[in-house]
Amino acid sequence: MGYLIGKGEDAAFWAKLRQDYDIYAPKRFPKQGRFSDTDIIRYDRVESGAEIVFDEKSDYPAKEVLTPICQAILYFTEDEYRASKASQRPILLFMRPCDIHAMQHQEKIYLENGGVADLYYRRMRERVHIVLMECSEGWDTCFCVSMGTNRVEDYALAVRQTEQGLLFDVREDALKTYFAGQPAADFQPVFVEKNSVSVTVPEIADKELLLKLKEHPFWQQFNGRCESCGACTIACSTCTCFTTRDVIYGDNPAVGERRRVTSSCQVSGFDDMAGGISFRKDAASRMRYKMLHKFRDYKARFGDHHMCVGCGRCTDRCPQFISVTATLEKMAAAVAELSSASK
Amino acid sequence: MNHDINIKKLRINCFRQSKVPGEFMLQMRCPGGMIDAKYLSFVQHIAETWGDGSFHIGTRQSLDFCGIKYEDIPAVNAYIRTYIDEIENGVCQVGMEVDEHGYPTIGARNITACIGNHHCICGNINTFELARKIEPLIFPSHYHIKINIAGCPNDCNKAHLCDFGIIGTAKIDYHPERCIGCGACVRACEHGATRVLELNADGRVEKDPCCCVGCAECVKACPAGAWTRRPEPFYRVILGGRTGRQTPRTGKVFLNWASEEVVLAVIGNWHKFSAWVMDYKPEYLHGGHLIDRAGYKKFKELILDGVELNPECLVAEDIYWHETEYRSNFNVKPMRMHHHAGPSNG
Ligand code: SF4
Ligand code: SF4
Ligand code: SF4
Ligand code: SF4
Ligand code: SF4
Repeated sequence: MGYLIGKGEDAAFWAKLRQDYDIYAPKRFPKQGRFSDTDIIRYDRVESGAEIVFDEKSDYPAKEVLTPICQAILYFTEDEYRASKASQRPILLFMRPCDIHAMQHQEKIYLENGGVADLYYRRMRERVHIVLMECSEGWDTCFCVSMGTNRVEDYALAVRQTEQGLLFDVREDALKTYFAGQPAADFQPVFVEKNSVSVTVPEIADKELLLKLKEHPFWQQFNGRCESCGACTIACSTCTCFTTRDVIYGDNPAVGERRRVTSSCQVSGFDDMAGGISFRKDAASRMRYKMLHKFRDYKARFGDHHMCVGCGRCTDRCPQFISVTATLEKMAAAVAELSSASK
Repeated sequence: MNHDINIKKLRINCFRQSKVPGEFMLQMRCPGGMIDAKYLSFVQHIAETWGDGSFHIGTRQSLDFCGIKYEDIPAVNAYIRTYIDEIENGVCQVGMEVDEHGYPTIGARNITACIGNHHCICGNINTFELARKIEPLIFPSHYHIKINIAGCPNDCNKAHLCDFGIIGTAKIDYHPERCIGCGACVRACEHGATRVLELNADGRVEKDPCCCVGCAECVKACPAGAWTRRPEPFYRVILGGRTGRQTPRTGKVFLNWASEEVVLAVIGNWHKFSAWVMDYKPEYLHGGHLIDRAGYKKFKELILDGVELNPECLVAEDIYWHETEYRSNFNVKPMRMHHHAGPSNG
């Protein structure tokens, strides 16, 4: 059963929804892009559908709502501490299929990995009700079909933007009341079945091949090309790395807060350890680490999926025009070359 | 050939004397250095019909044609009427009379501009759109002024070497909640700007705002969008730079963080200021010399007359230029040789 929330007649609808839910969606921040007179689209709290950007892909992913770039996790005084507080209000989170799949990866890392569920992730995740934003064609950097993330079955609401207004498919019972009295419409979301790029993730048959691949000279092209800025990972829907940082209040070292701050394997210094050890000393080895983590190691560890949902945001945000799909193709070519040589 | 030509009159008409007797170079205005490519057919036609077949991009981004015969000037002027009308009135909204006699004055020189944020990843402003807004304020007028516009403090267009150099800047906001403490902005500012950023013990960036030049290199470097430009553009106005045979010098900051309205209002006063200095009798004299004659304080008083400064705008209280004096004690001379500024009494 679908509904049409007509353009210009939707103020009461959104007001009612806002009373009970915090609504987060991709929003335009005019002139806040990397270059002057360019915009940025990122997640923020919105008041109504008019603020939501439907016809462009957001520059930054939906994960920013669940795991903000910077959040206080606990406050300490001398030998006591308490966790930061969070709102209990439910969230309607407008997400595209890739973002929804990415959230499932995040759940694995934050809730299952290591056997302890992360409190901060869990309390946010529990608030989230998924609003699926339909992608009609996708964009030129998308490759969700290749990664199997183009379809979504589970959602509370699905939405499509039309000339007349927003079409909603309502799956979650608790949300039905908000649509009472709205004109019915025949709407079921469709999914992108073909992207303009498609990739095949190479199978890396054994450890020997993996070791050879790590040494393959093609990685060297990223020295001098990749700036190790980390823009790709910050924009990545699935990256979860963070660091913790203690902030002391004023001049009293016994009082302060601990923050969780997003971090990136692409930034130099990320893997520095006590004793002056660091594993990956150049851009090429950081790129190799990222690519193998996304397209081999994660799946080798967790089984079912690669740690990439094909959202293409890393490609979009890379200031050096390093395309993840092109890099993956180069990696696949190196794997093919090494496999045929060893036969 | 026996020529009888009023070359001063022709110069005002934008035809400059050639070393070949009886030949002239036409300089067509091209505000901000940007025109539709379709006008290149005009260029080709003029060069091949009346010129020597070649074409020079003027140092002030004018379109220059050499080898035009004195006798052909009326035909050339009739032909460029459309160009003048479309560029000056159409594109720049000057609202001037255009007839078959060509340019009415050379006066204010062609406003030059770098490509700015129309293309450049560094640019903070659209340079040629600003040029098009300034054109009606200074043209047509017999008073000279050279204006160079640069899209950012990199100043590719040498705003420091003209009467009024206008540099597009940005006021930058910091969003600590988006900062990952990577230090990329700190390195970018150190490497490419003024070294005003520092990462503190909390992993936050601190800025010494006094010396930020508003280039936005930090914005470009940040992987997380933690620095953003304010939506409205700001401008630094560099005053009194010049080249020349007497006292070339680099311009100095006159206004910092001026709004577009302020820049336009200041330039709008140029005509009044020049007229006052020259006692309302325009001569072929470059703008910088007028500022010298009046003195900076008088210049400031007249040029800021009626201008409402935006709250961020800073104004130089004084300016200490540093000339290259090709002849030492250049200014020490008999009193009768001193220049006079302002209306003569009686
Ligand atoms: S690696 Fe790139 S394409 Fe894959 S999920 Fe991350 S940002 Fe999206
Ligand atoms: S791949 Fe691009 S975005 Fe990622 S670290 Fe290298 S230069 Fe930055
Ligand atoms: S001055 Fe700045 S905007 Fe203009 S071309 Fe140079 S770098 Fe680009
Ligand atoms: S805008 Fe200011 S802080 Fe940013 S790089 Fe330029 S000088 Fe440094
Ligand atoms: S570049 Fe951005 S994220 Fe990195 S320290 Fe500077 S403001 Fe923070």
